[in-house]
Amino acid sequence: MTAPALARRVVASAPVVAVVGALALTTLVMLVVGVDPTLAYPALVRGAIFDGNLEYTIAAFVPTLGMALAFALPLRAGEFNLGGDGQLAIGGVTAAALALLVPLPPVVAVVLPLVAGALAGGLVAAIAAPFSTRLRIPAIVSTLLISAPAVSLASYLVRFPLAEPNTGIAQTPTLPDASHLPFMGGSGYVTIGLPLIVVLTGLWLHIDGRTVTGYEIRATGQNREFARYGGVKVDRVAALALAGGGAFAGLAGALIVLGPPYRFVDGALTAPGYTFTAVAAVLLASARPLAIPVAVALLTVLQVGGLGMEREAGVPSQLTQIVQGLIIVIVAVLATVRARRGVRG
Amino acid sequence: MTDLAAELIGVSKRFGPVLANDGIDLAVARGEVHAVVGENGAGKSTLMSILYGLHRPDAGEIRRDGQRITLRSPADAIRHGLGMVHQRFRLFPDLTVAENIVIGAEPVRRGHLDRAAAHRAVAALSEKYGLRADPSALVRGLPVGVRQRVEILRALYRDAEILILDEPTAVLTPGETDRLFEVLRTVAATGVSILLVTHKLSEVMAVGDRVTVLRQGRVTGRFTTRETNANELVNAMIGRSLTPPAPKRAQPPQENPVLEVRDLTIHDADGVARLSEVSLSVHPGEIVGLAGVAGSGQRELIDSVTGLRGAVPGVFLAGTPVLSGRDPRVAYVPEDRHGRATAPGMSVAENILMGAQRELGSRWSLPRAAVKKRAKDLVERFSISAASVDIPISALSGGNAQKAVLARELTRPSHVVVAEEPTQGVDVGVRERVHALLLAARDEGAAILLQSSELSELRELADRILVLYEGRVVAEFQGDAHETDIGRAMTGATE
Repeated sequence: MTAPALARRVVASAPVVAVVGALALTTLVMLVVGVDPTLAYPALVRGAIFDGNLEYTIAAFVPTLGMALAFALPLRAGEFNLGGDGQLAIGGVTAAALALLVPLPPVVAVVLPLVAGALAGGLVAAIAAPFSTRLRIPAIVSTLLISAPAVSLASYLVRFPLAEPNTGIAQTPTLPDASHLPFMGGSGYVTIGLPLIVVLTGLWLHIDGRTVTGYEIRATGQNREFARYGGVKVDRVAALALAGGGAFAGLAGALIVLGPPYRFVDGALTAPGYTFTAVAAVLLASARPLAIPVAVALLTVLQVGGLGMEREAGVPSQLTQIVQGLIIVIVAVLATVRARRGVRG
Repeated sequence: MTDLAAELIGVSKRFGPVLANDGIDLAVARGEVHAVVGENGAGKSTLMSILYGLHRPDAGEIRRDGQRITLRSPADAIRHGLGMVHQRFRLFPDLTVAENIVIGAEPVRRGHLDRAAAHRAVAALSEKYGLRADPSALVRGLPVGVRQRVEILRALYRDAEILILDEPTAVLTPGETDRLFEVLRTVAATGVSILLVTHKLSEVMAVGDRVTVLRQGRVTGRFTTRETNANELVNAMIGRSLTPPAPKRAQPPQENPVLEVRDLTIHDADGVARLSEVSLSVHPGEIVGLAGVAGSGQRELIDSVTGLRGAVPGVFLAGTPVLSGRDPRVAYVPEDRHGRATAPGMSVAENILMGAQRELGSRWSLPRAAVKKRAKDLVERFSISAASVDIPISALSGGNAQKAVLARELTRPSHVVVAEEPTQGVDVGVRERVHALLLAARDEGAAILLQSSELSELRELADRILVLYEGRVVAEFQGDAHETDIGRAMTGATE
C-alpha cells in the first residue's frame, strides 16, 4: 500500500470517523447550551494531561485497560462479558480480605492478593460459562445477571464482616503496609500496577496472535461450528476465555484496592464506570487487539479531562459521557452501513 | 430475432478490482428457455442481479420489449414483468401456498385478505401452467420440489413475462428435476421467457433453446442447443476440453474395512429415528457413494462417522470405536462451506491451518512463518488461485475455497476421507480437479465415503453406491448402475 492510500484508509476508518464525528456533535451541543468550546476543550486537555493531572489519568488508565482486556479476551472467542463490575468487585474484595486477615511476609503480601483477586474474578466469570455452553443462554445475559449479586456480595462483605469497626462507613480498614503497591518513580498515584498491566497486555497480544491457544480462541469466535469441526473443544475454549477475561477484571479490582487509599471503599470500584468505558474502548478499537490500549487511553483522557472541564469551564462532566455514547453510536452505525453495502446478490 | 422480450446491451459491472461483467450482450426471445452458463465467478449471478434490479450496471442498458428501462430495485423489475426464483427459497413456512403466492399483491375484500379469491387465483394459475400445488397446504410440510413450484407460481401471479431461475436444480432429486423441466417447457409455451442460470451442461442440453456462455465476465459463446454439443459448451466455458475421467478399479480391494458402521440407530430430540440399523463398510482404496434425497439421514450418518456427534456406539475406525469431538483419523470435506468448512473472516492460511495447529505450534507458540509457509505450499500444490494467503478466505471464489478445504483435509494423516457434496457450487474445471484429487487419494489407498446429490458424480467416482431412504440403507448398487434404478431407490420404491 502506498503512503497516501494508507493515510486515506486511516482517515476514513471507523474509529477515526467516530471520534471526529462525536467531537463535532459534542461541540454543537456545547454551542447550543451556550458553552464556549474554546474554553472547554483546553480545560479538558489540561484536566487530563497538564497541571500534574497526567498521573491521575495514568492511574485511571490501569484499571480501564484491565477491564478492556476483561471484555476483549472473551470477545475473541465470541462471548460477550458484560459482568465486569461483579468480577471487579469480587476480585477487589478477595484481595482486601486476604491482605487484612492473613499476615503475609513482604512481597508475598502484594503478590498473593493480586493472584487471588484474579482467580476470584476468573471464577465469577467462569460461572457464566456452563450457562452459555450447556444451556445456550448467551454469556451477554448470564454475565450481566451474575454481576449484580456479585457486586452486592462484595458490598455485604465490606459493610459487615470486613468493615472498619466503629466508623459506620462502608469500607474496610486500611490494608497493612506490606500490601501497599509500590509507587513508580516518585509519583503519588501511579503504582507498579502500570508496568504489570502493560506486560500482561503484551502477553495477551502474544497469546492471541502467536500461540495455538490464541488461534483456537479466535477460530471459536469467528465460527464456532468451524472450530468444532476442526477438533477444537469449543466449550472448553469459550469457558477458558470467559475465565481469562474475569481474571483480568479481578486483577483490576485487586490493583485498585492495593493502591491508594489502600482499602476497599464500597462502591468505589464500580462507581467510576471502568467496565463500560472499557467496553466502549474495545468497540471503538473494533476489537483489534493492538488498537485497544490506544482507545483505552483516549477514553480515559476524556473521562479524567471531563472532570477538569467541569472545574474550569463549568461544563458538566456528563458531557464526556455524551462523547463516549456518540462514539459508540457512530461505530455501530458505520458497522451496519458497511455490512449492508457488503451484501451482494 | 424480432420478438425480443428483453435485451441487455453492453452491460458492465465492477466490484472493486473485479470486473464481474464486461460489456455483456444478452437477448432473450419471447417464449424461449435461454440458458446462461459459466463457471463460478464467470459473472452469471451479477448479470441476473442486474436484470432483477438488485445491482445497477456501471455501463450499458436494459431493454424490455424494445424500450429502454431503468431498474432501481426488484420492485421496479417486478413492475416490468420480471420474476426471479432464487437458489434459496424465500417463502414463509407457516403460511399456506396460496398466501405465499399472493403476498404483496393480495386480493382484498373489505380490508381483509380475500382467501377465496386467492385460492381461485392460485387454482387458475396452477391449471394454466400445469403446476400442481394445493393452495391450502402449509409450506412447511412441502417437499423442496413443490416449494420451488410455489416460487414459480408467485412470480407468474405477478404477471412475470420473464422468469429468472438461479441454479434451480441444485436442491432437487433427479425425478423432481425432470418434472421441473416439464413445467418450464409448459410455461415457456405460454409465451413466458425463461432464463435458466446453471452450470450443469446436461440440463442445458435437456431443456434450453439457446445458450449464452460466460467466462470471466465476458460472453464467450452463443449457441442454439440443437446445433451444439456438450464439448463445444465446455470449451466456451473453460477455454479447453475436459480430460476423460480415470477408469475405475476393476477389482475391489480385499483388505479389512477401515471404516465400519454396525447397526447404527440414531434418534433425534423428539425420539424420531433418523437412522435405523445402518451398516456399511469402506475398504482402503475404495470409494463408497452415498445417495439419497436430502434429509434421508446423511447428516446423522456423516456426523457419526466423523465423531462430531460424540462417541456413538457402532462406528469403528481401523477396528477401534470412533473418538468423540472430531476423530483426527477422519479427513472430512463438509458440504456447508461457510458454516462449517471455513471461518470466512479468517485468512486463507489460518483456514488451511485448522487441524494441524498443534503439529506446527504449541500452547505457547505458533510461528507465523511456519503457518504461512505451509499454506503457501498447499496453495501451490493444489493450484488454488489466491492473491495471498493473508487475505480472508471469503475473498476467494467458491471453487478456490473448496480447493483450499480439500487441500487441508486430503493432506491430513487420516485413514478415512468423508466428502460431502464436494463439487456443489463449483464449476466444471474445479469439479474435474476435485474428482481427480479424490481418485488420486483412492489410488493411494484412502477409504472414501462420498455423499453427493448428483448421481452422475457418484456413478463417475464410486465403486459401490449405497442408497439411504428414511434413515435406512435400502439398496446397494455397483458404481456403474443405471441412474433410473438408483433414482427409484432414492424415492423408497421397491421392486
